[in-house]
Amino acid sequence: MSRFIFQVERSLFLFYTGIFFCFFLLVSNLNAEEKSSFFKLPDSIQVHGFLSQGFLHTSDNNLFGHSDDNISVDFRELGLNTSWRVLPELQLAMQVVWRNAGQTDNQDLRIDYGVVNYNFFSSESTTLGVKAGRIPTPLGFYNETRDVASTRPSVLLPQSIYFDRNRNISYSADGGYFYGEQRSEYGDFDFTIGVVNPRTDDPSFKNGIVGNDLGNMVGHTSWVTRLNYEWQSGLVRLGISYADLNADYHPGNSSKFSRGSIRFKPLVFSAQYNAENWSLTAEYAYRKTELAGFGLFPNMGVAGESFYIQGIYKFTNYLEGLVRYDELSADKNDKKGDEYALRSMTGAPNYSRYAKDWTVGLRVKLFTDFLISAEYHRVNGTAWLSGLENDKSTTKYWDLYTLLISYSF
Amino acid sequence: MSSRIKNLFLLYFMILQNVCFANENIIEPQSLLVPFVNQQVSQDTISINGLGAIFKMRLHKWDDDTAVTVFVLKDDNPMHESFCKIILNVFPHQMRRVWDRLVYSGSGQAPIQLETKEEMIEKLSSTVGAIGYLRLSDVTDGIKVLQVLSGSSE
Repeated sequence: MSRFIFQVERSLFLFYTGIFFCFFLLVSNLNAEEKSSFFKLPDSIQVHGFLSQGFLHTSDNNLFGHSDDNISVDFRELGLNTSWRVLPELQLAMQVVWRNAGQTDNQDLRIDYGVVNYNFFSSESTTLGVKAGRIPTPLGFYNETRDVASTRPSVLLPQSIYFDRNRNISYSADGGYFYGEQRSEYGDFDFTIGVVNPRTDDPSFKNGIVGNDLGNMVGHTSWVTRLNYEWQSGLVRLGISYADLNADYHPGNSSKFSRGSIRFKPLVFSAQYNAENWSLTAEYAYRKTELAGFGLFPNMGVAGESFYIQGIYKFTNYLEGLVRYDELSADKNDKKGDEYALRSMTGAPNYSRYAKDWTVGLRVKLFTDFLISAEYHRVNGTAWLSGLENDKSTTKYWDLYTLLISYSF
Repeated sequence: MSSRIKNLFLLYFMILQNVCFANENIIEPQSLLVPFVNQQVSQDTISINGLGAIFKMRLHKWDDDTAVTVFVLKDDNPMHESFCKIILNVFPHQMRRVWDRLVYSGSGQAPIQLETKEEMIEKLSSTVGAIGYLRLSDVTDGIKVLQVLSGSSE
């Protein structure tokens, strides 16, 4: 019953936020048409957006469409966000996104966030507030802004931590957060904690667990917390984030599986050093996944491990280069995947349990709003690829070439 | 030492000298970059933490609870670059990342970006609660310098 109420509330919330967005789109259109006359958006309302088009080619295996010995253009993101600072203490913000990522995204219009943000206390040294609505999940350095090419360091975020095949479930969730910030001569601290109900609209999320069984994944009460520290306005940034994300599988009428529960608990440590012309970033994640009650397979708990180290060098204000090593182990007690392959009933290879990815990339900024990024990946293992796009005949060693053109304003 | 290397050295020193002159400009009080606010802002001083919080778009109110509106010049404008580096102690591209994080996560807004110094003067004098930056010598009617207190906040 309570879940039913939550669902109703959620659709009402989406409905109202949709109306809110349409209203501001209208206002901003008016603004565009009548720029020359008196009408102008007040300073308290801002509209921003982005669009990006990717081109992917892989030597083997598929990513974001049919990329194997082909060029896939199925990686496309479009977003528009608007924010309104109603009062100094109160801000409303919303972002609508259309996204295509081969078979790993539904290509529909979705509300990525709709946030009511209220600062109930603020001084020169302290800020305290609450957020409610659909809120980007504060996990690691990049999750909250993973949509926008210009805030990502590379075309693809390090996949060992920021899985794109489960992008929607990890990107944002419905609920509420408390946050506090303290600025001191020893650096700035930023703490947040929230209770949320995760989204489950990633095709690969259900597919990865029950295949094409008829049923639905439904998110339920979860919580997320993060502590960030910045020294000298971000010269050094350190972070630790943890989430306990929960979802249930509701089988359909002719399902082979029974009602199961999924519990995903990532713990992420983050560190970054930012010099004027270069930066060094490293993140480590320990991920516990528990599956229970599905019937067809025994209850299980797996602990995975991921980390990456990334260096960026700014040659000029308009050109930067990137080198990264990114490693994912689906099971930290079976890093080579041999045990898994031995027990696998579907004949899954050992290399489907890990991925070691060397990346080099270049990024050119044209004017101030256009970005062109190109990347080469040499990957050993297929652990972060989607099963929806890759059948059993995967290849252990593969190359990935990506080119992304993006615009944001 | 060959004459070519000598010439290179000379060139190097000339460039160095120019850089030093540029630095002298900053030391000369009239050309010092400082935060400016609208004349009606009740506050005359602010801590360095408070100033950082305002430009990072984390503090939206003045002491008397009136709203703050932040104006900046473009990221590659030399005035913006020096203000970020010298006064706020942050690289302009770091500042941009801070604003992008706020805008694209729905947790805040970016400051309002202006094209020229003249526009900055005009906006600061006409917008209640406005803050931006100018050279000391740019002081005119309707705007005033916001003095930055050294040491920790409050």
